Amino acid sequence: MSKRYVMVHDENRCIGCQACSVACRSENGVPEGVTRLQVRVEGPFGDAPHLHFKYNRVSCQQCENAPCVTVCPTGAAYVGDDGLVSIKEDKCVGCMYCVAACPYKVRFINPETKAADKCNFCKDTRLARGELPACVTVCPTDALTFGDANDPSSEVAKLINTKATYQEKTHLGTKPRVYRIPTKRGGIQS
Amino acid sequence: MIELDRRTFIKGAGAGGASCALATLLPGSLAALEQKPLQGMGKEVASICEMCSTRCPISARVVDGKNVFIQGNSAAKSFGGKVCARGGAGHSLLYDPQRIVKPLRRVGERGEGKWEEISWQEAYKTIAHKLNDIKQQHGPEAVAFSSKSGSLSGHLFHLGKAFGSPNTFTHASTCPGGYVIAAKAMFGTKVKRDLSNSKYIINFGHNLYEGINMSETRGLMKAQMSKGAKLVVFEPRFSIVADKADEWFAIRPGTDVTVALALCHVLIYDNLYDQAFIERHVEGFDAFAKEVKAYTPEWAEGISDVPAKDIRRIAHEFAAKAPHAVVDFGHRATFTPEEFEMRRALFAANVLIGNIERKGGLYLGKKAKTYNKFAGDKVAPGLGKPGVEGMPKPAAKRIDQVDEQYAMMWSSGGIYQTILDATLKAQPYQLRAWVMSRTNPMQTMTDRALVVETLKKLEFVVSCDVYISETAAYADIILPESTYLERDEEIADKSGKSPAYYVRQRVVETIGDTKPSWQIFKELGHEMGLGQYFPWENMESLQLLQLDRDMARFNEIKQKGYVSYGKPLMLREPAMVAAFIKQYPNAKPTDEDGTYASAMSFKTPSGKIELSSDKVEKMAAGRGVIKYREVKLKQDNELYFIQGKVAVHTNGATHNVPMLANLMSDNGVWIHPITAGRLGISSGDRIRLTSSVGSEEGTALVTPGIRQDTVFAYMGFGSKNKELARATGKGVHCGNLLPNKTAAVCGMNIHTTGITLAKI
Ligand code: SF4
Ligand code: SF4
Ligand code: SF4
Ligand code: SF4
Repeated sequence: MSKRYVMVHDENRCIGCQACSVACRSENGVPEGVTRLQVRVEGPFGDAPHLHFKYNRVSCQQCENAPCVTVCPTGAAYVGDDGLVSIKEDKCVGCMYCVAACPYKVRFINPETKAADKCNFCKDTRLARGELPACVTVCPTDALTFGDANDPSSEVAKLINTKATYQEKTHLGTKPRVYRIPTKRGGIQS
Repeated sequence: MIELDRRTFIKGAGAGGASCALATLLPGSLAALEQKPLQGMGKEVASICEMCSTRCPISARVVDGKNVFIQGNSAAKSFGGKVCARGGAGHSLLYDPQRIVKPLRRVGERGEGKWEEISWQEAYKTIAHKLNDIKQQHGPEAVAFSSKSGSLSGHLFHLGKAFGSPNTFTHASTCPGGYVIAAKAMFGTKVKRDLSNSKYIINFGHNLYEGINMSETRGLMKAQMSKGAKLVVFEPRFSIVADKADEWFAIRPGTDVTVALALCHVLIYDNLYDQAFIERHVEGFDAFAKEVKAYTPEWAEGISDVPAKDIRRIAHEFAAKAPHAVVDFGHRATFTPEEFEMRRALFAANVLIGNIERKGGLYLGKKAKTYNKFAGDKVAPGLGKPGVEGMPKPAAKRIDQVDEQYAMMWSSGGIYQTILDATLKAQPYQLRAWVMSRTNPMQTMTDRALVVETLKKLEFVVSCDVYISETAAYADIILPESTYLERDEEIADKSGKSPAYYVRQRVVETIGDTKPSWQIFKELGHEMGLGQYFPWENMESLQLLQLDRDMARFNEIKQKGYVSYGKPLMLREPAMVAAFIKQYPNAKPTDEDGTYASAMSFKTPSGKIELSSDKVEKMAAGRGVIKYREVKLKQDNELYFIQGKVAVHTNGATHNVPMLANLMSDNGVWIHPITAGRLGISSGDRIRLTSSVGSEEGTALVTPGIRQDTVFAYMGFGSKNKELARATGKGVHCGNLLPNKTAAVCGMNIHTTGITLAKI
């Protein structure tokens, strides 16, 4: 695997506006009632007037070490040549093992295809056409950056190398590929 | 804030979507039609969003005949090729089964919700007959015409004028009118803010991170992230913009004017203001300085709860960054009857540091005519208007201009809420019919009960809309308009620091039996016997007329969707002026200091910026000089009720759009934990809010992000007509709690009041 696609979510820039979530639905035809991506505005935390929100991107973390793949009995959940955790709809039997195994609670059974579903960085829609993922394309405040972290000249590589980032639940050893730039309280300075 | 994680108001994964049985029964709705594949007009169509009034340039394409993917048009740099959630959900409106696609006639009582489908011809005939009848008996002024401002309003107002009525209204007095009128009084024209280049931004609750205005939202973020600008926010609740601020002060609702005046006090009396600028460009400084003497930070603290030492410090920090600093003059606050003074005080703080036509400050739009004059060259084409001969001059006075003080409201719009008095009390004369287009006063005006009474009393009501909105539910005839994704429209001016044009173009073939409103009002005009005033054949003939039949320009604008001309120009910014004259050899010669400062002129009586105004004094005695007056927004036993915008909905317009309703269909009422504790209220409890005019049931959202004496709800929720099946009955209806009051001079409909709160 030469590519290592990652997403960087800058929580300083994120305003929780859900433009990403809506664009994802349109591009990928996500049916009502289920969702691949949401940004939850959590909080406020702290004591007034020193409050703050957390802008939590809830979507598949594209784990390098993905529990959903490990548990899948049919091989429907797999890691593709591009390194992305993907789903072969025709192989999926809807047993929901992967749904249960995902520590980030982002897998679901698609009510239309009856197969497991989740964010795949728009792999078979926009990436296939050489475009950026839908969420990255529309984000009003440029909070999202996507690209190949193995390419040192890419925006994402630069961001990961220069900014303090964190990933969710790294203690589980899943090695998520969604990086988050935490909010700096007491002022946004570049 | 859209969602608080634990008390979820956005429906999360797994929450059921609402498909509603009622929709399929609704006459004239899209549900009755067979679903055909969408016919795209091109591979990628450049157009203009209409999900809110910002009107971002978009680029849309049809995917597999069943979906439309909408993103921003990247040719428009300040918009960055972006759309917000509402903009991205436009297609969800396009084929919403609850959309109205056939003309409807009311068959039951007004507001009862009984409809029958009729043909366009019959709809036109009924309307023409009725309106002409009223005109004959009572004069054309007995009919009011109102529309959301923008491309649509022009065509409805044209019909109104041809008919002979002076009574045309936009939603200005319920939303953006305050700062526009204040700017008119001081600068003689609208002004814009250059947030993206600002180094210090003072913001009074202008929540650009939720009430998204794409270029300004991006500008603010750019200033914060790339330029290290400091953001100070005064707002009673902890909004997203407050969260992103360097400093947030939970100011008492409606007291912004005191802090603004105190900032001016410090700027003047600590000698931090730009004396040279004031001497050269400003009129009325002495009177203002004299008035402001009493408005010390200590005085402001007593009223606003903002510490005096902070006001003083912020004024000094602000001045230290002058002129690349700005006090945002805000958008939809309409807090108090003293709105006009509040907006002027905000502008005054800008004028004092001389940030006019400087980077990061305020500036005047550079349309083609002005820009070309400076360039000495025809850099940008002008935009022609179709002249129509012999348009009638209304004999009657407008219903809202009986009071001289409101005369500054723009001519095609007016004080919207005066329709209520004219209908109910015949003040200044009896109104009998109301024709409206894409406007929802039932949500955006105050005192809903009064609006209902008005609609019930009128002899005839026509509504042109895409849904049976809360207001359309009271119409006699509903005319189904095509959505913006199915419409071509005129080329529109989008000039900023240099001229720019863009155009709305249809992305898909029309679904169902709807028409674009320009066509509706033209055809209706013909039926009313006013055909001579509609000499254009279709939209293309209008567009060509605008461009003086310049086919090359025409094709360029249509193909790119957005075209800007020239280099950005701010008249007092030396580097920008230098780049400008380098580009244009025939450019107007600069002043000695390399700027165009001396060419800066204002359309005020003095030609200068009027910090104090004789003209305003004549219109409303005692109001020439900006002054603080005490207002009582609530009784002592009450809590302040305030409201605001959310990022996934637009005012009273989008709550029934499926994708957006699925994201958020309810507005929790923000209550401080101490207040909630006192009343025994916990998050998720059903509560009742009662004001002087109405009472609403809602759900409590207990959060420290609000003052103890204040409750907050996002506006636009809690519709009450059964036709908006996804939105109705969900959340608190703000308009049902707010009393009908009008602010002096600017005519704004007040949007803050007092309420009592109880657990149900
Ligand atoms: S579109 Fe961007 S700013 Fe909006 S919620 Fe998504 S990541 Fe955050
Ligand atoms: S986040 Fe969940 S669904 Fe995505 S790769 Fe990891 S385990 Fe699998
Ligand atoms: S639901 Fe499908 S993808 Fe998930 S574990 Fe079962 S077979 Fe594999
Ligand atoms: S801000 Fe959003 S809804 Fe408004 S015009 Fe722009 S994209 Fe459309």
